[in-house]
Amino acid sequence: MTRKQLDRTLLCVGAAVAFGLPQLIDSPTYLQIIILLFFYAYLTSAWNLVGGFAGVLPMGHAVFVGIGAYTSTVLFLQYNISPWIGMLAGGVVAAAIGVIIGKPTLKMRGAYFALCTIAFAEGLRVMIENIDMLGPFKLNGPRGLLIPLKGDSLAAFQFMHKEPYYYIILIMLCLVLAFTWFISRSKIGYYLGAGGEEPEAAESLGVNVANYKLLAMAMSCFLTALAGTFYAQLMLYFYPKGLLGLDLSFEIAFIALIGGRGTIAGPVIGALALRPLNEFTRIYLSDQLPGLHLVIFGLILILVMLFQPKGLTAPLSRIYERLAQAITTPGGEKS
Amino acid sequence: MNILEISNLTKHFGGLTAVNDLDLTIKKGEILALIGPNGAGKSTVFNCVAGVYAPSVGEIRFKGEVISGQKPWNLSRRGLARTFQIVKPFGPKTVLYNVMVGAFLRTNSTKVAREKAEEILTILHLEHLRDRLAGNLTIADRKRLEIAKAMATDPELLLLDEVMAGLRPTEIDEMIGIIRGVRDRGMTVFVIEHIMRAVMALSDRVVVIQFGSKIAEGTPEAVTKDENVIKAYLGGEYGVSGN
Amino acid sequence: MSALYQSLVNGTMMGAMYGLTALGLTLIFGVMKVVNFAHGSLLMVGMFAAYWLLKITGMHPFLALLIVPPLLFVFGYYLQDLVIKPVFKSERGVREPLTVIIVTTGVWYVLDNLALMLFGAEYRTVRTAISGTSFSMGEVIVSWPKFAGFVVSMLTAVGLWLFMLKTRTGKALRATSMDREAANLMGIDQYKIYNVAFGLGTAIAGVAGCVIIPFYYVYPSVGVVFDIRAFIIVVLGGLGSIPGAILGGVVIGIIESTFAQFMTSTWTEAIIYGIFLLILFFKPSGFFGNKQDW
Repeated sequence: MTRKQLDRTLLCVGAAVAFGLPQLIDSPTYLQIIILLFFYAYLTSAWNLVGGFAGVLPMGHAVFVGIGAYTSTVLFLQYNISPWIGMLAGGVVAAAIGVIIGKPTLKMRGAYFALCTIAFAEGLRVMIENIDMLGPFKLNGPRGLLIPLKGDSLAAFQFMHKEPYYYIILIMLCLVLAFTWFISRSKIGYYLGAGGEEPEAAESLGVNVANYKLLAMAMSCFLTALAGTFYAQLMLYFYPKGLLGLDLSFEIAFIALIGGRGTIAGPVIGALALRPLNEFTRIYLSDQLPGLHLVIFGLILILVMLFQPKGLTAPLSRIYERLAQAITTPGGEKS
Repeated sequence: MNILEISNLTKHFGGLTAVNDLDLTIKKGEILALIGPNGAGKSTVFNCVAGVYAPSVGEIRFKGEVISGQKPWNLSRRGLARTFQIVKPFGPKTVLYNVMVGAFLRTNSTKVAREKAEEILTILHLEHLRDRLAGNLTIADRKRLEIAKAMATDPELLLLDEVMAGLRPTEIDEMIGIIRGVRDRGMTVFVIEHIMRAVMALSDRVVVIQFGSKIAEGTPEAVTKDENVIKAYLGGEYGVSGN
Repeated sequence: MSALYQSLVNGTMMGAMYGLTALGLTLIFGVMKVVNFAHGSLLMVGMFAAYWLLKITGMHPFLALLIVPPLLFVFGYYLQDLVIKPVFKSERGVREPLTVIIVTTGVWYVLDNLALMLFGAEYRTVRTAISGTSFSMGEVIVSWPKFAGFVVSMLTAVGLWLFMLKTRTGKALRATSMDREAANLMGIDQYKIYNVAFGLGTAIAGVAGCVIIPFYYVYPSVGVVFDIRAFIIVVLGGLGSIPGAILGGVVIGIIESTFAQFMTSTWTEAIIYGIFLLILFFKPSGFFGNKQDW
């Protein structure tokens, strides 16, 4: 087997397992856990376009999840527009807001940018909690929005079982991974990497660093908002504190850093490492010791940063390289 | 034909005049060295040409067009590339990646950019380091990488800011060969240099500045015989050793 | 009119204490160029330390000022030495120590939730010798604990400022904040200075804990309330600036207390965020910040 064949085979096996999994898992609880795992991996991949490739640290990305959820839900509740269309509309709104916020802030040092994104996210959350009606749009303040049950309906983005949600988020995840893979190998990816590292040197090589960062921000916010609609349709209920709070924003950044900032596989590896742990410790430990799961969460983050500051992807890919060398034959002869 | 024309260039920083009414031209295909003691204003001249500073007074023309105050990325699109005195590699990225960033200026295709970058790495004898991380290179290799990145943008005029500083004698000889090779590929080269041996061996013409003003101009031999230069800059004992 | 005076006085006093919570943050940023996201949690640790000390011994809260800050200094010193420094070292040569920021967020999670495990989620208050007392100044009623907090905040800021200006350690801190390589070459151990800066910042959080506890309640995530405000204050005042932190705090305090007369407190919060973003857009270096710092 050659190296290329091995990579391809493993990718196919992985895809087959991912697509076949709902046939093996009956429990909707477990399926829900995996759906949320994919949801987080998707969000982190979208975050990675700015936080990884462009080399800044957005700490308030939950805002864009919220914008996606609110846009599609308001359009559906008040104008009966299909959430699929609302999803795209939310993406466009989020991208526009991302550009407005990014324009003055992306020029700043990383620490300032992180603070600005937190302040913006918290500010918007507080505002939404205070607003029942935004012009003609009903936001319902701190109580949040409830989506009425319509039964199985693809047009209404509602399903009685978990499987359709599973496949939707899986396909979204595959697409966003393919997209980040493509970006990382394109001119945009090279320019973002260079601009994030040494802006002055990049500019002297013809890179308009500010514009490329804005482009990354727009793409990232658009993709993030799509997941917001997905979340709204999955849960059929959301409220500002739960969806727009700092916890979600921080968890995205944590997953990215634990997985490996700026890598394609990092978000998936980070989500695989953190999500199940988070869910199980929450389910089994939080009754006896509230907060223990978050202590573990924080400790893991600190330990990974102490011993693998580049995230878990780097050592894992080294192990994979070594294994692959042992299995494959060099040069491309058939084994 | 003059590829770069600097006329009446003056640059103030607050009360300090770093460059004072400087005129300077570079002919196409030439290697011109700008020398002067520390603090003479060499780097300021460079930064004005490269678009980092806007001149206080005066005009800079590149290929006949005024470029004063243009943004760096527009200048490099027009064919002007520079290196930095304190090298600025994209540290955690590979050498190939670094050069490809430059090559992307003239293409949107990753494949074309990679081929171009590989070609330039070969010219600069860096091909064996292509997969190394730029942050791990020796200083000599970093200096060469700096030139490789700039060359990858296909410039007509290359500004080299003290690329010899910190190199050993053998490395300096190699660098002289590299810069000559660059010129032979049709690029015009404008260098700031401290190491006189390199200036003598390399340049077609030398401009000497002190306190921001030009005090001499001519062939390396003529300049080193110039009394003003000897007095003001090189010190009394320096003769023309040629090497 | 007297309502306005009253809210100005209240706002100034609360604002000075907000400034005090921001002081440690701005000191740590100034020296280390790291935004310490765990700062609110350190304040929470300070508040709990003061709470238990006062609760168990019943001593005067001013006396606690002599005990809690030194303890917090030691805590901060070793937190930086054992947890943050190693990450810092592995990120040497990187322009922006972003991983360090994330590690401080991890510290935040660990501390807040450890407190939750140990003390539970309830809001706790302790009655001290000065709790609930007040005096009147014309028409304005001044609460003793807030007035004491105001005075202590001002003294702390002036003390820190003098310390930075006059002492050897203070000079070393300032040198490191200006240029860490050059300071290193002058024989200053950069990481030791970071330990001291972090310890001092934490000690100031301990001071804040002592002055806040007589009139406020403590619970595990109380830090978040002050944290976000402290971030806003340091950006307003200019990251790294000591007078900026106090001034920024007073501005926020006055805005809060005057706007609170006309609208609900959640709207006041939204308006503070709005003002903050406007300042960032138009004067991102804040009142006293260095332009190069942002």
